[in-house]
Amino acid sequence: MRHRDWGWSPTGRRRWAMVALVLGHFTWMALGRGPSSRWQHLLNTLSAPPRMVSGHWELWRAGRRDRLGDLQQARRENASLQAEVSALLSTREAEAPQLAEAQEAIRLLGLKRLLPLDFQAARVIVNVRKAPFGGMILDRGADAGLSPDQGVIAPEGVVGRLWDVGGTQASLLPLDAYNASTGVMLARSRATGVLQGLGPGKAAIRYIGNQEVVQVGEPVFTSGLDRVFPRGLLVGYVTAVAPHDVELHVEVVLAAPLDRLGLVLVLPPHPRLEIQPPAGPVDASISAKQVTP
Amino acid sequence: MTAPSSGAPGVRRFVLALLCLAGIQFTAPWPGPQAVLNTFLVLGLGPGFASPLAGIAWAAAAGWVMEGSLRLYPHLGGTAFGNMLACLLAFSLLLRWPPHTLKPFWGRQAVLVVVHTLLVQGAISFAAGAHAWGYGWLWSLLLIPAWATLALRLHPPLHRK
Repeated sequence: MRHRDWGWSPTGRRRWAMVALVLGHFTWMALGRGPSSRWQHLLNTLSAPPRMVSGHWELWRAGRRDRLGDLQQARRENASLQAEVSALLSTREAEAPQLAEAQEAIRLLGLKRLLPLDFQAARVIVNVRKAPFGGMILDRGADAGLSPDQGVIAPEGVVGRLWDVGGTQASLLPLDAYNASTGVMLARSRATGVLQGLGPGKAAIRYIGNQEVVQVGEPVFTSGLDRVFPRGLLVGYVTAVAPHDVELHVEVVLAAPLDRLGLVLVLPPHPRLEIQPPAGPVDASISAKQVTP
Repeated sequence: MTAPSSGAPGVRRFVLALLCLAGIQFTAPWPGPQAVLNTFLVLGLGPGFASPLAGIAWAAAAGWVMEGSLRLYPHLGGTAFGNMLACLLAFSLLLRWPPHTLKPFWGRQAVLVVVHTLLVQGAISFAAGAHAWGYGWLWSLLLIPAWATLALRLHPPLHRK
């Protein structure tokens, strides 16, 4: 009877259902707070590697996203900076001639303050000095009161003299022209001579007696005897000295950069022989080379 | 174990159990009456079903509804388990010693309330850990004359010899 009660009969099935219900509840309770923490611990342990991998994966993705953001931002900044630099370069190139002329004008102004003469500023508009019978053309002429044989100087040194004067322009005979002659003197020996052009940037001093002691590197100044330049303007430096019969052959390199001249000062006709620089501080950076030793 | 024969209509008991279940759900803001309804369903109505399987199923349902409505424990199921055990115990007592008079039945129900309380609280402690017991058991004890009398009226003469 008991065997049949627990068998596959309606009563047995009900009993098995009751047992299953009670045991199911007990199992569910056993999975509760205490055991469930152990289950949770086990699941946490089992899921630790995937969580670690996913954590690294997320960190890598976040880092990659940040790096991409930084790279894109850097590229945008780079493009912006390149555009800005190119614009600045264009502006600088456009303003470079004006800047150079302004700097030259400042130096001319300093020279003008240094020498108490009535100068006239002129711009070199053509420079064909190296061509046969070439020279330089100034943008001033008779309309500005210029006349031939007026001296022309630059902050670095003497340039030459006016050769021919037109209505609005004037031609300039530089010191290195073969037909140019200028009265000069040496800085140390005070020996005077005549400077004659030898070609681009070079000249030679004539009529220096061979008893004179001339050193290479010695400055050469105008002597003022030609009444074109006052005494003491820098002409150039001695580069070679050699005895030649009764005189010395003295080669001189000119101080004025004749190839790069933009603005020049035209001296008044027949200036005084001696000029005294004004008393007081003078901007030495402008034209220190023009001071008489 | 044989199921007691039921002379009362099963539908009436089923409807009452269903009303108790709904009452347990909707009296969640008042734990005292909720505990009384739960006790009545477990110790009063559940043992009276013809099959103990139906009784413990109703008892388990009452436990789940009660815990689900209270939402106090981190892991549910303790009340349902205690309800089932108490219902089985009550069913066995009812089968072995059918009630004849009212006051001994009250006393038996009082003992069953205490046992039911201990079973339920122990099961909850096992499932969910430390918790507050409350005073639902006291409500059930104090209202034994009401719900136990109703339960006895529903029983006769099915468990009386």
